[in-house]
Amino acid sequence: MFFHIVLERNMQLHPRHFGPHLRDKLVAKLMKDVEGTCSGRHGFVVAITGVEDVGKGLIREGTGFVTFPVKYQCVVFRPFKGEILEAVVTMVNKMGFFAEAGPVQIFVSNHLIPDDMEFQSGDVPNYTTSDGSVKIQKESEVRLKIIGTRVDATEIFCIGTIKDDYLGIISDPGAAS
Amino acid sequence: MGSLEPFNRLVKLTARAFYDDISMKGENQPKTSRGDNRGMAVVVLDALTRRQWVREEDLAKSLKLHSKQLRRILRFFEEEKLVTRDHRKESAKGAKIYSAAAAAAGDGQAGTKEGEEKVKLHTHSYCCLDYAQICDVVRYRIHRMKKTLKDELDSRNTVQHYVCPNCKKRYSAFDALQLISYTDEYFHCENCNGELIAESDKLASEEMGDGDDNARKRRREKLNDMQQRIDEQLKPLQAQLKRVKDLPAPEFGSLQSWERLNLGAFTHGDSCAADASRNAQGQYNGTPMPYLGDTKVDVELAGSGAKEEGAESGRNGAELKVLPPWMVKEGMNLTKEQRGETSNTSSNGDEKSEGKDAKKQDPKEDEKSIQDEYIKAYYEALKKRQEQEDAKMMQQEGHAFSSTHSERQLGTKTKREDGDVEDEGVEWEEQEPLGNTSEPYKFVDLNAEAPESGDEEDGIDWEEG
Ligand SMILES: [Zn+2]
Repeated sequence: MFFHIVLERNMQLHPRHFGPHLRDKLVAKLMKDVEGTCSGRHGFVVAITGVEDVGKGLIREGTGFVTFPVKYQCVVFRPFKGEILEAVVTMVNKMGFFAEAGPVQIFVSNHLIPDDMEFQSGDVPNYTTSDGSVKIQKESEVRLKIIGTRVDATEIFCIGTIKDDYLGIISDPGAAS
Repeated sequence: MGSLEPFNRLVKLTARAFYDDISMKGENQPKTSRGDNRGMAVVVLDALTRRQWVREEDLAKSLKLHSKQLRRILRFFEEEKLVTRDHRKESAKGAKIYSAAAAAAGDGQAGTKEGEEKVKLHTHSYCCLDYAQICDVVRYRIHRMKKTLKDELDSRNTVQHYVCPNCKKRYSAFDALQLISYTDEYFHCENCNGELIAESDKLASEEMGDGDDNARKRRREKLNDMQQRIDEQLKPLQAQLKRVKDLPAPEFGSLQSWERLNLGAFTHGDSCAADASRNAQGQYNGTPMPYLGDTKVDVELAGSGAKEEGAESGRNGAELKVLPPWMVKEGMNLTKEQRGETSNTSSNGDEKSEGKDAKKQDPKEDEKSIQDEYIKAYYEALKKRQEQEDAKMMQQEGHAFSSTHSERQLGTKTKREDGDVEDEGVEWEEQEPLGNTSEPYKFVDLNAEAPESGDEEDGIDWEEG
């Protein structure tokens, strides 16, 4: 799920950036530092949408670096148990398949794949129904439901299922080619 | 507009299926305290099936519940999405409007007494059943129950575990990323690089027979059993849901629109019209006065009355309103409920059987028998009355005729005597006595009449000539 929230961060800026563009430099650095990172608490920071407040800088002894407390608005992405996501399959093996929804990695184990889909090994390993009408392979887009998340300080990993109504393949690149 | 009966049945079944053992206790009351109010939820829901919008105080009063207790129950049902509530600050006038609307809607029991009309600006709460939503909620609830069980049985939402056959190290699907091997299609142990086995497979292949396994088996059995019991016990409820599925749900609208509708300020085409019986009264353009609906009641003699009842689908099944005594006229095709013979306010009343027999009769037969009964009763009453009068005349001779009222021709009344229809007041048009009435009967003194009217004071309807 996406959230638009306000976060705070202490930014250290090298004295060479001090000047008329100090603020721009600060924001640019903030984006570079923060976007794409993950915190267990808030999820993935997708994008910074604005800077609310830059506090008074504090010169650090000995280095000359200045620390600014910065309040910024950003969009974060945090997966939840029970949430339905659309994801791209990245790897298929006998144990199930892996998929990505943006920065989130999801594993769907084979017992959470419908029983009528069987693993086919080969150049392009895949899960296929007996009549061949549905095929899940690398690059397939699937809709899945998250049944568990493991949230570490810097990483979120999810377990998903496609064994439910309206879950499974959305579009099948193999079928088109 | 939908018939209420199947929906009310649904509500009752729902109440008994899901809210039977709900205890509505305040947080600070110990569970063991006296006066366990389990079952109260069912009583309240049942009571609501017999009402439309009702002021919560009135409901509490008629259920003999403390209003706080009732409010707690209603709040619970509001959260359960079965009941719609409305709160508003209102003056005496506002309360009156509601009362009038309630009276027009034929609820009868909501009427404000004279003394209560001087309400200051108080917040009043009203509630009514939200039938359309109830159907959805109940259907969804059953669906969720079944799905949860089924998922549990299929172990759908469980995180797969893996075990290394060599070093017995256990992993879960969350470790999948670290376990991938790029040489084959299996997961490999981090310690010994052994090929991991999914745990359910392991249980299937090897017969470990350890405690864990047994526990799982028992759990499965329990789930299976539960699933069966759900199917069995919810069968009537599901049947009712199916029956109701394609029927339009009764819709009372918001409190305001309901009031306006029942007061007839709305045009008839209003989409949130109520059930047929209320429509009939709703079209009556009236000032907000209770009981103005009186003249509207179709007093059709015999046959047409019966037909009318059949045609009005709205009041066909469930709630036949208790007609106030002054509404009861001869020739009306009444059921027991309408006469109020069964107590409508009783809280646990399940009126499934009430008055069914009366309704089921073939209308024509019904009409004929009523006519017959009427004639029989008439003659009997006449005879009895004559005897009484004769006796009285003997006693009071002279005295009666000297009274100031003696000149008046008064309507008098008598009583139907035959068996089961006893309490009904019947009026006579005094000027047209049938046949062989003797003269003294015609001039009855008010004073003389009073003592014998006895128990049915409210049935008297004097017509002064
Ligand atoms: Zn191992």
